[in-house]
Amino acid sequence: MAPRIIVIDDENIVCQMSKRVLEQEGYQVETYVDSTEALERIKTTPFDVVITDFKMENVSGMDILREVNQRYPHTRVIMLTAYATLDTAIDALREKIYDFFPKPVKIDELKKAVKRALDTR
Amino acid sequence: MTIKKRIFLAIAVQAVMILMVCIFSYMAFRNMLSKLQTIERIDDLNISLLEMRKAEKNYFLYKDVNSLEEAITRGEDRYGKIQALEGYGDTLNPQAYEKLRDNLELYLQKARSLLQEQTPPPNYELEFRNLGHSLTALSETILRTEREDINKIIHASIIRLIGSLGVIFLLQLLFGHYFFKVVNQELNRLQWLMQMISSGKIHEAVTNEVPHNEIQMAGKALLDMARELDKREQELFQAKKLASIGVLIAGVAHELGNPLNNIAMLGQAYMSIYDMLGDEEKKTFMGDVLNQTERIQKIILKLLDFSRQKKPELENYHPLEIVNRGVELVANQLKISNIKLHLNADEPLPMIQVDAPQIEQVLINLMVNAIQAMPQGGEMYIDIASPPPGEQVIIAVRDTGRGIPREILANIFDPFFSTKGTKGTGLGLSVSYGIVKEHGGEITVSSEWEGKGTTFSIKLPAAAEKGA
Repeated sequence: MAPRIIVIDDENIVCQMSKRVLEQEGYQVETYVDSTEALERIKTTPFDVVITDFKMENVSGMDILREVNQRYPHTRVIMLTAYATLDTAIDALREKIYDFFPKPVKIDELKKAVKRALDTR
Repeated sequence: MTIKKRIFLAIAVQAVMILMVCIFSYMAFRNMLSKLQTIERIDDLNISLLEMRKAEKNYFLYKDVNSLEEAITRGEDRYGKIQALEGYGDTLNPQAYEKLRDNLELYLQKARSLLQEQTPPPNYELEFRNLGHSLTALSETILRTEREDINKIIHASIIRLIGSLGVIFLLQLLFGHYFFKVVNQELNRLQWLMQMISSGKIHEAVTNEVPHNEIQMAGKALLDMARELDKREQELFQAKKLASIGVLIAGVAHELGNPLNNIAMLGQAYMSIYDMLGDEEKKTFMGDVLNQTERIQKIILKLLDFSRQKKPELENYHPLEIVNRGVELVANQLKISNIKLHLNADEPLPMIQVDAPQIEQVLINLMVNAIQAMPQGGEMYIDIASPPPGEQVIIAVRDTGRGIPREILANIFDPFFSTKGTKGTGLGLSVSYGIVKEHGGEITVSSEWEGKGTTFSIKLPAAAEKGA
């Protein structure tokens, strides 16, 4: 069964582009623009890799990260953010984040990171 | 001249006049007193002369030498008194006294010779008696004239006293009226100045560059103070703005970062899956890229709006007119969103001095925020409250939406602060804040979290009096 990946970002284009590129790599990809819906989905369904934006309305990337860590210790979380500051990076690392991508995201790097995440599970 | 100096001068003039009246009255009374003394003496003289003549009559009746001697003694005594009277200086008619004295002297001479010559000539008695008669007549005339004179003096004194008191009274009235006018005029001006300051029209309020009196000085000090405060407030406002530049830059980074990332991802994906894309899909990719550049363009335009700090071009409008113009533009959105609008305006409302497009922009902003706060529909209230005189008109936009959490209430006017994610730039309220501030007004927010709604109130300065 193909690895399951969830992409959460309130920018629809990020979701769509990630989905297309990652699906081409043979993964099964779900995308969510609304982070609240994504959180509900995560609660019921385990994913292998979670790619989430940091700053979102209502439910933030940190909320998603905490939820995943609590429920699925083997799931890897990759965080995307439009403005990376040291504080957000440190906070995210404390919560056992797998990787951290500042925007604009380099898709090749992202693909490699996903592959690495799946390999090291 | 200062008001203090003017009051001092008026008091000095009054005091000098009262002093003059006092001196004049004192002199008049003294004069009357001396006149009365003179009259008393003349009266005395008159009685003595009559007694002298009584002795003279006795002599002629009884040929009594003793009586004649008595008459001479009395006459001599009186002679000295007349001289004293003449020397008194204040007598009405010195010639009359002189004549009286001369006649008395002649009378005494005749009396003495009568005493010596035992046998007087035949007509001597008649002559002597006539002389005596003229003597008393003259004395009585003098007495009468002096009495008439003192009457005149008393009359004249009374008239002069009343007259000068009248003049002082009139002067008093005149000074009173003058000071009332001056002080009233200055106080009115001061009041006007205070109203101008309190309604924020500091630069329209003008005072004399060189204040002429104390109230004008107070007015100038007040205006200087208001201007200084205004200057400091503006400096503070600028400082706050500078402080928010940090927030602004972070905001710009985030706001522009997202569309840039979108473009970057579109480009990378496009290249990476190019072979698999059909013509239509390629078009969609490029269309998305263009949409993202438009998004960036919009952000930049808003940013320019924010930084431009355009001075509002003020004109007088009825508050309802401005509100209605704004409402027209969101009417359709209200309908779609199933929101009922309640518009309440006090009657009568003063005109407001505003840049109409700018204030409309603010109102639309607040109304759109309200609409977005009620995704399930609801009620929107716009209340326009007539202010007490001298205060600002309040336009309040209230919704029954989800409200604003207390912890972010303080930040909502910060540039790029947004709770709307990709739907907002976070510039709307900060631009509105800037516009209202530039109008000399104020924008405030109060909100009950958990669905009791939010109220934004704009205070705007009323136009000058006439447009009520």
